[in-house]
Amino acid sequence: MTLNNIEDKLIQGIASITSRDKSSIEADMPFHKLGIDSMGFVEILVFIEKTFNLKLIELDLTKKDFETIHSLASLISRKL
Amino acid sequence: MVSSKSKRYLSGSDWVINTLDYMMKATTGAGNMSQIVLALDSAIDEAALRVRLNRFIKEFPVLQGNVTRDYKLTPYWKIPGKIAADANLNVHHAESLGSCEDVLSLLGQSVNTPFKNDNEHLAFHLIKGNQRSFFAMTFDHRLFDARGAEAFLNLFQRYLADDDFSVSGDICFTSSSALTGWMKKFYAGRNVNRKIIALSKSTPEALPLPSGEKKSFRYRLISFDADETERIYDNAYNEAGYLMEMPYLLSVVIQTVHELFRSRSRTTSSYLIPVSIDMRPGKDAVQELFFNHVSYLFFQAQAKDTDNLKGLINSVKQQMYEQVKAGFPADLAEASLLTRIAPLPVLGKLLHLPLKGKMATFIFSYLGKNPQQPPEFMGIEIKNIFHMPRVPAPPGLGFFCNYFNGQLNLVISYLEGLVQNEEINMLEAGLRKRFGAGQS
Repeated sequence: MTLNNIEDKLIQGIASITSRDKSSIEADMPFHKLGIDSMGFVEILVFIEKTFNLKLIELDLTKKDFETIHSLASLISRKL
Repeated sequence: MVSSKSKRYLSGSDWVINTLDYMMKATTGAGNMSQIVLALDSAIDEAALRVRLNRFIKEFPVLQGNVTRDYKLTPYWKIPGKIAADANLNVHHAESLGSCEDVLSLLGQSVNTPFKNDNEHLAFHLIKGNQRSFFAMTFDHRLFDARGAEAFLNLFQRYLADDDFSVSGDICFTSSSALTGWMKKFYAGRNVNRKIIALSKSTPEALPLPSGEKKSFRYRLISFDADETERIYDNAYNEAGYLMEMPYLLSVVIQTVHELFRSRSRTTSSYLIPVSIDMRPGKDAVQELFFNHVSYLFFQAQAKDTDNLKGLINSVKQQMYEQVKAGFPADLAEASLLTRIAPLPVLGKLLHLPLKGKMATFIFSYLGKNPQQPPEFMGIEIKNIFHMPRVPAPPGLGFFCNYFNGQLNLVISYLEGLVQNEEINMLEAGLRKRFGAGQS
C-alpha cells in the first residue's frame, strides 16, 4: 500500500469519526486542529487496527507520530 | 422518521436520563439537574441581561416542553407553540463575595432548587458582587446534556455580543419512534447484557448513602492555575501518552478515591466508574443542542491494582479501546431504545438489579478544550467556567473535569452526608499531590 493510499484511507476514517467533510481535511493538517479528544483518538486507533491490522495502542506513541496525518501515515507505512 | 415542531420522540438515553430524574426526585427531592457557572471579572447590568435573556429564551419553545406518550407507546417531548413565561432569572446581591466556599454555597442552593413545574427546565442565577459576579444556568438533564447546555449558553453569548446575530429556535425536530428493527436491538441488547454480566461478577464498592430524604448536593471546586494545568497535561502525556488526558485524570481520581475507602478501613475489592461520551452525529447543530446524545463507557479497577499508576492507566486505556472496538457505546444506545416502553418506576427498579443496588462507585466526566467558547459575556471577561452536576444516588459522588482558558477545573459533587468535610479536604489534597500541583 502506498503512502498516498494510507493517507486517503486515514482522511476518510478521520472525517467519519470527527463528522467533518472529507474535503476539509488535508494530509499536512496538524492533528490537534482536528478537535480530537481521548475518545476520538481511541476511535482512530480502532479504525487503524480494523483497516491496517495494526494495534497502535500497544506502542509508545509520541506527539511526533501524530504531528500531521502525513506523519501518522508514515508511521503506519513503516509498521506494515 | 417524524419531522415535527411539536413532537420529538425520546431516544433510549433520553429515557434512561428521565428514569434517573424520577429516581433522584424520589431520593433527593430534586431532579437530574446540573449547572454551568461563568465567573465574571466585574458586575453585570442586570436589567439589560433580563431583557436580552427573555427575548432569547422566547425563541425556543422546546425549552418549555414536557414528556408524554401516545398510542405508539414511545415517549416524546411535547413542544408548545410558544413560550408563555419569562425566563426564571434570580438575582442574589452579595456586596463582597467572600471565599470560594461562600460562592459555591450560594451556587449550590440554586442547583439544588427544584424547578417550579414540569414545563420548567431552565433557571438562571446572577450573583452580584461589587468587583465580580457569577452567572449560572441551571438546567434539566432531560432537556440538555452537558455539551448541549454549553453550546446553548455559547449561542446566548453570541446573541448578546452581536445585535445583528439572528437566532431561530423554530426547530423542526427529526426523530423516530423506532419500534422497528427488533433483531438489531436484540443483538445490541445481547452484547450489552454480556458486558453487564461481566461487570457484575464483582460487586463494585460504593459509599453507603446517608439516611433521610431531600438531601442536597454539595460541591468542591478545585481550580488549577495555568502552570499547574500545563504540568498536569505534561504528566498525562508522559504517563498515558498522546491525547490520553481522560485515562490519566480518571486513573488519578481512582487512586484518590481508593485512599478514601482505605481511610474508612473498608476492605475493598473493585471500583466501577461510568464515563459519559458524546455521540453527536454532527448532522444538525441546532437540533443537537437539545436532549441527550450521550452513551457510556464502563471502567472497572481492582482495588489491589490501584497503587501502580502506570498499570492503572494501561488498564483504563485497554478497557476504553476494547469497548470502542466492540461498539459498546453504540450497542448501549441501540439497546436502550427498548427501555422506552417501560414506565419510569419499573425501569428505575430494573437499573438497580445487575449490580445489587450499587450502580457505580462514582461518576466521572471530562469535557476537554472547547475552541468555540467566547471569551466574554456582555462585554465582561469570563475568568472561569465550571459545571456543578447533581449526581444520581447511588452512587451520589462524581468528579467532573473541564478545561477553560488554559486552566483545568475539577469539581467534586457529593450528596450531603455521604462524605465529611475532612474527607473532601483529603480528596483535594490527594488529587493535588498526585497531579503534582501545589496545595490550595
